[in-house]
Amino acid sequence: MSGRGRMFVAGLAVLVLVLAVYPSFGSGYGVRSMLQLFMWMALAGSWNLISGLTGYVSFGHVAFFGAGSYTAAILITKAGWPWLAASLAGGLGACVLALLIGYPCLRLKGPYFAIAMLGLNEVLRALVSYFEGLTGGGLGLSLPTLQATVPVYYVMGLTAIGVTALTYVIITSRFGLRLMTIREDEVAAEAMGIDTFRHKLYAFLLSAVGPGIVGGLAARDQGYIEPISVFPLAMTITMIVMVLFGGKGTVWGPVLGAATLFIFQELVWAQFIYLHQLLFGAIIIGVVLLMPRGVLGLLQMKYRLPRTI
Amino acid sequence: MVTPVLAVEAIRKSFGGVTAVDRVSLTLAPGKIYGLIGPNGSGKTTLFNCITGMERPDGGRVLLNGRRIDGLKPHRIANMGVGRTFQVIRVFPELTALENLLVVTRGPREEAEQRGLELLRFVKIERLRDEFAGNLSYGQQKLVEFIRMLMTEPSLILLDEPAAGVNRTLLNDLLEAVRGLRDEGRTVLLVEHDMKVVMGLCETVFVLDHGEKIAEGPPGVIQSDERVIEAYFGR
Repeated sequence: MSGRGRMFVAGLAVLVLVLAVYPSFGSGYGVRSMLQLFMWMALAGSWNLISGLTGYVSFGHVAFFGAGSYTAAILITKAGWPWLAASLAGGLGACVLALLIGYPCLRLKGPYFAIAMLGLNEVLRALVSYFEGLTGGGLGLSLPTLQATVPVYYVMGLTAIGVTALTYVIITSRFGLRLMTIREDEVAAEAMGIDTFRHKLYAFLLSAVGPGIVGGLAARDQGYIEPISVFPLAMTITMIVMVLFGGKGTVWGPVLGAATLFIFQELVWAQFIYLHQLLFGAIIIGVVLLMPRGVLGLLQMKYRLPRTI
Repeated sequence: MVTPVLAVEAIRKSFGGVTAVDRVSLTLAPGKIYGLIGPNGSGKTTLFNCITGMERPDGGRVLLNGRRIDGLKPHRIANMGVGRTFQVIRVFPELTALENLLVVTRGPREEAEQRGLELLRFVKIERLRDEFAGNLSYGQQKLVEFIRMLMTEPSLILLDEPAAGVNRTLLNDLLEAVRGLRDEGRTVLLVEHDMKVVMGLCETVFVLDHGEKIAEGPPGVIQSDERVIEAYFGR
């Protein structure tokens, strides 16, 4: 490892250590905010796995978040599961959903897949509203009261680390390169012996686990879920913008994007309640026009950075 | 008789009302270089696509080493030992030159990397190994595409206009490489408009016109074939 690489790893270790002890001295608001930042890192990183690598834009990725939320909330309220097991089950539930959806939809090419995913989210929202007995319908589900912010903080952090580590392993492997060939030229990938459908499906399944777990954790943390709160299109958009800003198809792009935009939002949100949406929109336009590859993508192009970035 | 590497039997393919390939049959013996020529729109690329699984033929059969492959997915056919290059270059632009080669391999990564570097050296672009393929020149991209195909160790090689847009020196290197592949026992089928290339390289030439095979034979004979001349120049 180069000197600079060692410094990066050391800095990272210190950062993780600080975050690990943060709840012992941070304010309640601070811990809550960090917890949410972890959530966004996991979400953006997961979206990056399917859309950043294969170029198949998922416009309904929040569907997996919602599916995880409902899976966990139902298991907690109806079956009395502990929240950690229920959240992990949420990840599994999202993965199963991804299999059911991905199997037919990943045969669709780019834009059609994006639209199909958008539809999926709407269908799920309608479904959970309809099956009132299980989901509470439009009234939503209230989870039993439990003060678990600090443990949820840790599990959320671990999930964010897990997603990022997974991204690292994938991107530095030939499996990851094969996923990228789908984005680069799917026809050529097939002609070179790459089973593109299978690869897309694997990436899609992996990209659903994180949001599923995080959805369960968020449900526990908020103590109450309803269809509009766990299936908002805006959440998918935010994931996309975070990844585009940081650099799609990179390891650290989603982390950087999530951190930058989240901090920005927190600061600006407090200052200008209405204007912040306008600023958010302006960022989207700015990123797409000025640096379509995002911060790290731009640096990568300029300085030939390794894939480990 | 040896089993042909590739046997195309009465392949048909139409798009809407246009018959692109009309009952074409070809037989390729191992270790030889074959040419496929014909005017624009005569069905050469469609025939390539039928062989490699990118199009499903409407009728007829394609046999690879005696095994039926028509209707299989392109990646399955590729993994059975069919490599191809494209008329319009199709490298993976945001992968580096070396990654373009690595990505098509399986087995130990070290070995694949060694082999990749060897091939980059062979076409004299080793220094560009970490450059994004999309940043390379046309000729360099063509070379990357060519050696990427070789990384899959194909026994049947389909080249769609390898000479197009390539300068003389590069072309000679490419042709030399193709002969080398033949000498290793691989079979080559190439679509080419440059007659000099076809005549200098191929042992047997197939001629397509309006989707039909109108002639087949050694280049010398083909050149003076009445129907071929007519197809190219009109009466």
